[in-house]
Amino acid sequence: MIFTVFKKELRDTLRDRRTVMMMIVIPTLVFPLIMSVFMSVSESFQKEAAEKKVKIGLVSNQVGSLEADLLKVPEALGKKQFIPFTDTISLIKAIRSDSVQVGIYVPNNAEQLKSAMKPISVTVFHDGTDLGMKERADAYLSYVQENWKKQRYAQLKINEAEVTPFVMAYSNVASSKEMIGKLAGGFLPYLFIAFGFMGCMFPAIDLFTGEKERSTIETLLTTPVPRWKILFGKMGVVVLSGLLAATFNLLGIYLSIEVLNLVKDPVILQAIKDILSPTFIIMLYALLCPLIIFFAGIMIPIAVRAKSFKEAQSIISPLNLLIILPAMVGFFPGVELNEVTALIPVVNIVLATKELIAGTLEWHLVAMAFGVMVLLAVIAIMLSYRKFENENNVIS
Amino acid sequence: MIQIEHLSKSFTLNRQQKKELGTTQNSVLAVDDISFECLPGRVHALLGPNGAGKTTTLRMLSTIFKPTKGTILIDNIDAVKDPQEARKHIGFLTGSAGLYARLTPNELIAYFGELYGVSKNDIEMRKKKLYDLLDMHDFQNKRIGKLSTGMKQKVSICRTMIHDPQVVIFDEPTSGLDVITAENIIQLIRDCKNQGKTVIFSSHIMGEVDLLCDDITIIHKGKVLYNDTMEAFRAQQQAPNLTAEFIRIVNDQKTETL
Repeated sequence: MIFTVFKKELRDTLRDRRTVMMMIVIPTLVFPLIMSVFMSVSESFQKEAAEKKVKIGLVSNQVGSLEADLLKVPEALGKKQFIPFTDTISLIKAIRSDSVQVGIYVPNNAEQLKSAMKPISVTVFHDGTDLGMKERADAYLSYVQENWKKQRYAQLKINEAEVTPFVMAYSNVASSKEMIGKLAGGFLPYLFIAFGFMGCMFPAIDLFTGEKERSTIETLLTTPVPRWKILFGKMGVVVLSGLLAATFNLLGIYLSIEVLNLVKDPVILQAIKDILSPTFIIMLYALLCPLIIFFAGIMIPIAVRAKSFKEAQSIISPLNLLIILPAMVGFFPGVELNEVTALIPVVNIVLATKELIAGTLEWHLVAMAFGVMVLLAVIAIMLSYRKFENENNVIS
Repeated sequence: MIQIEHLSKSFTLNRQQKKELGTTQNSVLAVDDISFECLPGRVHALLGPNGAGKTTTLRMLSTIFKPTKGTILIDNIDAVKDPQEARKHIGFLTGSAGLYARLTPNELIAYFGELYGVSKNDIEMRKKKLYDLLDMHDFQNKRIGKLSTGMKQKVSICRTMIHDPQVVIFDEPTSGLDVITAENIIQLIRDCKNQGKTVIFSSHIMGEVDLLCDDITIIHKGKVLYNDTMEAFRAQQQAPNLTAEFIRIVNDQKTETL
């Protein structure tokens, strides 16, 4: 009988346009949309940054060799135009009004200091909110500095290698999969959890409050089917809807990389392909199942008690925030699954998924997280059962 | 057959309900120690003004509500102790009940047939018979949400009768329906009676009661005011018509209470 109720409710749910939108259409499209917006925005930023001619205000009383060498910096380091200023006050004013983007102050005694082989104090004026401008000035000055260093070594007849005690090289021992998992891995579970929750929401309201509102529950309760079987049949559809929303989300990721080719960077592409392995998918579902049963279990008592669709929605929607906020913990690098975080619902699943993506899973912690969620899911089912058994809640 | 003895139902009030009713009591007694019997092959009218406890009584009979006290026997099955078994014998039709708008009549009837444990063959056989009787073939595959009120009512009748219940409960089945659609219900009640089923019928329309019913129970404020055959009711009648007589009985009770 549970399956009979489940079959009917699933058919009914799949014919509801609003639910199909939340369960299939939006979860499938969200990742490709985010990716294509992100790619086109980042591409246009890169292009704009490369093509942008930066106006550099130059405060100096003479055209010395530093000014002359700055003018000779190749265009490969970015297009530029130098504008002379007589004082720093007017330079700061110009930076604030964005008529120049960055300023360089060269002291009057620069030539003497250069001749005496002493360091010149050059000041870079920049607006911290105008990203990338300080780096542009740094790049130009570093270019000139490197050339001058070479000239000085030649003048002093010094072999550069002899005054270089060591050269540093960096080797990253973390795989690109680990890098993505630890630094950006919180984003994926966040999506799955958010859509899992939203996927459950409309079916839960429709199958419980909706039945009350449409007065169909009364006839259903006069059939010789125990209430717990009706509850389980309906709950099955709510849970399946949440899992389907997460599945279509996963499908959206697959479409983004395999069909739409939205990820261009070969390293990131390979890392995402490594992440989306069958083992990852099985583990992800194992973690999502108790979480989504828990979601269904907290939504159903609210939906059973609510007198109208609007009332149920007004209670469940803010609940969304309570779920989304802990899920955002995964965004912070450095927050990891440990004996404490494994006990915090939602947070534990986000962090376990993050570790799973990075491939740095500790099984005893995953077992703890899974156990906590299973326990909460059981409590939520019992609560749903109590509410659904109460005739005052079911009949309006 | 339905046998009701000393049946009572009280509801616990929450804070908001207490405020709405203007009471400090924690519970309200909707049905207060009522007893009556409905016999097979007869139509039993359950009458009472709004808030008398009719719907609560019918909901207890159909096992949606559990009585606070008393017993209900449906075809000799204790509906309080074994509600699931009792439900197999009951068909419940209310005027206010909705239907699943996104299903077709075929899907809905098959669903309820399965819930009542009717075999697939029997569902098909009974469905055909009911579709012939109610002229439902033309819209059997259309979504219920797109059907007219009359068509929907026919679907409701079909849903109520798919498991061939021996006891049929009608709670204001014709309320809000046009004359032609209401006639379908009246005909169904007559058919049930002719087939020897036990029918209990709640209505506000005294014309329907006069036309259909063999026995009558009037309840008011949860208590039985009158319980006898329609014949006896007509014989003791003091007012010029049945509606006036019903009002007189209810008013007499009010005066006695005062």
